[in-house]
Amino acid sequence: MFDFDNLKINLIRLILTLLIIFFTLIFFGISPFEVFESIIYGSLSSESKFIRTLMVWAPISLASLALIYTFSAGMWNIGIEGQIIMGAVGATFIARSFLGEYLISPYIQILFAMLFGGFWGLLSALLKVKGNVHEIFSGLGLDFVASGIIIFLIIGPWKRDGIASTGGTDLFHKSSWVPTIGSYNFPLMLILIILFLYLISYVVLNFTSLGIKLKATGINVLATERFYFKSDKYIIFSYLIAGSIAGIAGFSQASGAYHKLVPSISGGFGFLSILIVLISSKNIYFSFILSFMFSILIVGGSQLQIRLGLDNSIIGIIQATFVLSWLILQRIKIENKILQKISGMFYK
Amino acid sequence: MIFFENTLVTVISLSTPLVIAVIGETISEKSGVINLSAEGTIMICALFGFVFGYITDIAIVGFLFAFFLGAGIAIFISYCDIKLRMDQIAVGFVLTVFLSHLSNYIGQDYVRLNGPMITKIQIPLLSKIPFLGNVLFNHSFITYISILLIPTAWFFLNKTTLGLSIRSAGENPLAANSRGIDVKKMRFIGTVIGGSLLGLAGATFSLYTKYGWSEGHTTNYGWIILAIAIFGGWNPYRAAAGAYSFGLLQVLAIKAQSVTLALSQILPLLPFPIMIFVLIFIQYINTKDARYVPRVIVSLIVGNQPEALGKKLPEEIK
Repeated sequence: MFDFDNLKINLIRLILTLLIIFFTLIFFGISPFEVFESIIYGSLSSESKFIRTLMVWAPISLASLALIYTFSAGMWNIGIEGQIIMGAVGATFIARSFLGEYLISPYIQILFAMLFGGFWGLLSALLKVKGNVHEIFSGLGLDFVASGIIIFLIIGPWKRDGIASTGGTDLFHKSSWVPTIGSYNFPLMLILIILFLYLISYVVLNFTSLGIKLKATGINVLATERFYFKSDKYIIFSYLIAGSIAGIAGFSQASGAYHKLVPSISGGFGFLSILIVLISSKNIYFSFILSFMFSILIVGGSQLQIRLGLDNSIIGIIQATFVLSWLILQRIKIENKILQKISGMFYK
Repeated sequence: MIFFENTLVTVISLSTPLVIAVIGETISEKSGVINLSAEGTIMICALFGFVFGYITDIAIVGFLFAFFLGAGIAIFISYCDIKLRMDQIAVGFVLTVFLSHLSNYIGQDYVRLNGPMITKIQIPLLSKIPFLGNVLFNHSFITYISILLIPTAWFFLNKTTLGLSIRSAGENPLAANSRGIDVKKMRFIGTVIGGSLLGLAGATFSLYTKYGWSEGHTTNYGWIILAIAIFGGWNPYRAAAGAYSFGLLQVLAIKAQSVTLALSQILPLLPFPIMIFVLIFIQYINTKDARYVPRVIVSLIVGNQPEALGKKLPEEIK
């Protein structure tokens, strides 16, 4: 079951990518150790910082999980940003309704977020299946349509009393916020939902016929016809599931992070998750861990400005360098040679 | 009339980078490569175009540098696509993220500076023609280049051997290969021409239509260009028409700002739903029900999407 050789190769690749990042930072005249130390300090050094990291991790891990479904089906779900945005819109819809003042509100918000996000995913899928539109273009289009909708809502029907600005809506009623426990506001409910979804997805993707058929669709659409199942159906499924999970990510952003709807509600986390899934591909543990690493980078990165006077765009550079060098190394397959050299040294 | 004339002049000069970039993307897509790094390429080339213009105080240096930087990025994409056989979409996407962050990082020291300006060149005699003279022959050199680029690109893609070979590589790589066309080379040439035009467009933003540099200076323009390229149906004339329509939209958005905030925010997003509709319509036309649609409308909207667009090179081509 456990692929030990693969792990070794991945470890060597990880070391190589970290080396590349190390030298990239030196190239920019930045001390990698200082950056590393600030990032860890800024994200993990106290309870409140750790909670902040968790609140960033929540949407990223959900979006990455969502993308695993569509990637399994061989689809480039670049529309994930739009699905997150629509999820946030769905959550806000409930939070602003009469339900917003009751404690049940977050749970209904989740349902609506899934509904809205799933619907947005479904649109991409239908355009792909019925309209044969390349999913990159439909996804990109729907992302921007979603951001148009959110801007319209914020300066139109959901504007703050008196002022129409792009600063966001009014704060939600307290009972509509993501429920937390303890003095540090640990978002227990959200974390449980994420763990539950990851567990379920692990089972679904690996041990059910749905998961296997999804993967078959991703590997070879033509072959699926020979096995008498419709790949179209599974593409739609994958988008529906992905959209719903991404919707929960939107809920986490609106009701957990901001407690209101803002134009940049997705925080670019959808695109970031695409980077994560590019590396982890269909490996669910990997995206779980990577999404946590990336959220440490994001939260810790906000400290760089204060501690080192560095612009936090350096974090984006680190993330993209990581993914790009990983993908290239994966193609060059240099790790095998290194592995052979190492084992050659031991078994002489 | 004067108002109309002035609006046209503004639209044509404001659309300059869009026209250049859209034609670049069209040529790239004709060879089968979606240059998804457009957003990042334009951004970094806008920065470096401005920086080199600023350092040397000669705008042309900035334009040239951006042109070659764009070509360099395209060569990298081509290398990943052709040699390493990586997914071009993955590479383009990661590059977009990388380059936009990189330009924000490097660009911090160049925010809101004044560098060299490019001046308008009145073409003798022609610019004296009433109305047309002012609209077409009273611009900066880069606008003239953008206007000349449209027929040139069309001629290149439809009438030259190289252009036709590029197109055949983008339609059916295997068939082109068996006909003796060097598909890898064609894909490379298409991508590099496209990339260098994207670079030039970047410099046009920072040295002309959206002067200077600020954080995220050309945000979203790359994505918009991908949308307009589809609206253009992979035909330079229509692509340019799309770019000018978007330019008009921008001018309207600026004018609408005084009326209502919502409209000015939402107008620039219009290309995206239009792109989706065009794509659906293209598909609809290919079905049987489409015989009721008048041919004029069909020929206006439908384009030939290159068959191999966004796909990896077939493994048979070594």
